[in-house]
Amino acid sequence: MRTVYAIWKRETRAFFSAFSCGVALAAFIAAYGCTFGVLLRGNEGSVLQIQSLWGVSVALWLPVLSSILTTRLFSEERASGMIEMLMSSPVREREVVAGKFLSAFTMVVLALLVTLTVPLWILPRMSLHVQGGVSVLAFAAALLILLLQAAVWCAAGTLISLFFSNQAAAAACSLLLCCGLPAAVYFAVMAWVPALRAEMAWMPLLVHVYDFSTGLFSAGFMMLYLASAVFFLFVCSKSLACLRLRG
Amino acid sequence: MLEVERITFSYGRRRVVDDVSFDIAPGEIVALTGPNGAGKTTLVKVLACLLMQEAGLVRLDEVDPLMRPVKYRRLIGYLSERCPLYDEMTVDEYITYRVRLKGERNLRVRRRVSESLEMCGLGDVAAMRIRLLSQGYRKRVGLAEAVALHPRLLLLDDLLAGIDAGQRKKTAALLSAASSRSAILVTGHELHELLPWCTRFLVMSQGRLVASLRSGEHDRAELLRLLETHMAGNIAEGAEV
Repeated sequence: MRTVYAIWKRETRAFFSAFSCGVALAAFIAAYGCTFGVLLRGNEGSVLQIQSLWGVSVALWLPVLSSILTTRLFSEERASGMIEMLMSSPVREREVVAGKFLSAFTMVVLALLVTLTVPLWILPRMSLHVQGGVSVLAFAAALLILLLQAAVWCAAGTLISLFFSNQAAAAACSLLLCCGLPAAVYFAVMAWVPALRAEMAWMPLLVHVYDFSTGLFSAGFMMLYLASAVFFLFVCSKSLACLRLRG
Repeated sequence: MLEVERITFSYGRRRVVDDVSFDIAPGEIVALTGPNGAGKTTLVKVLACLLMQEAGLVRLDEVDPLMRPVKYRRLIGYLSERCPLYDEMTVDEYITYRVRLKGERNLRVRRRVSESLEMCGLGDVAAMRIRLLSQGYRKRVGLAEAVALHPRLLLLDDLLAGIDAGQRKKTAALLSAASSRSAILVTGHELHELLPWCTRFLVMSQGRLVASLRSGEHDRAELLRLLETHMAGNIAEGAEV
């Protein structure tokens, strides 16, 4: 645990001093703000609750933020040669992966908490109508599913960054995996297999956020997200071991 | 202490280290020298657990790096040829981070860091960001990190490159002091600089170990001549091939 903490601490500090991280966070908050504003305006008087609008507008941009934040984790170390120093230290691959993953996840959690201030703190002060409708528990449920999704995106991004020494290439590949692939698979299925439309209605990740924010919990989906994150981290740890052996 | 038996390593089809065997006793400072492309850095990387040999055996105090990699890596200190560092950290932060990463207990970390900073003459730049340091100072930071936990084996790849004459003397004194606790393997081409303080010279060429000369068995001029002969002979041989 000491080594995981040491790696987490260094990586988190590096995030705060990295210009690209600041730009990514600012862009994420701006994109979220715009989406949330548009959704609020478009759903005035509708039955949609504010926590669902918040959850959906964050979930849309979460894969993008996670992809950009995680690209530097290993690719920067490979480009600078620091990976050699890390690998010659008495640390296990899983400790390195855990420390790095947790640092990116910490940044995503911080970003999520910043976005939460809008519906929980700013809006109630601006509108008495909203004040009556805000439930902290409902937000906690939406936050839970967003954290699970963020864990998957961060784990996938950590794995991708291991295979590139060029950060731009890692970011592009990670974006493709986190955003492009699920969407492409879903739309392909919907387009070419009409019979599956009813069964596949649960597939869009935004629907999970909506369900959780309205109190429709699903242990199955929670396990799916957890298992996916653990799978990506496991593959990352084993790939790091292979990388060490191959040089 | 360190036993290397018939180590072989290839990059693809190209054999870079070929059937190399030697050992290093405690207190020895061994210079691994040879022409460019001889396989010195690759051999050091195998010993630093960064590459896995195709064949052969490495043991340090009876610890096999393939069986117990974490324990083995705890016994070594490694300075890479490129000497990469985290530029955004200060010298003190970097050494502290590396010492923590090597599993040192919290109570001892501060003492270890202070000792290694003092040992490598980095006290005056401890609070400075690494990106502002010269190449020579960067090497010293890498060295400070390698010696911080008094490892049983110090692997120093191309240690003297980029270091000025004054600093080379200080480095030699530092390593002579460190050799009381550690066995040291240093690679490089600077024979004149290595001669006064290395106890043994291993010459590599085309992946093979072609000579092993003890400094106590020859006077300095003869040793230098022998080393130059071995290296020149092997360069010529390499050119013919």
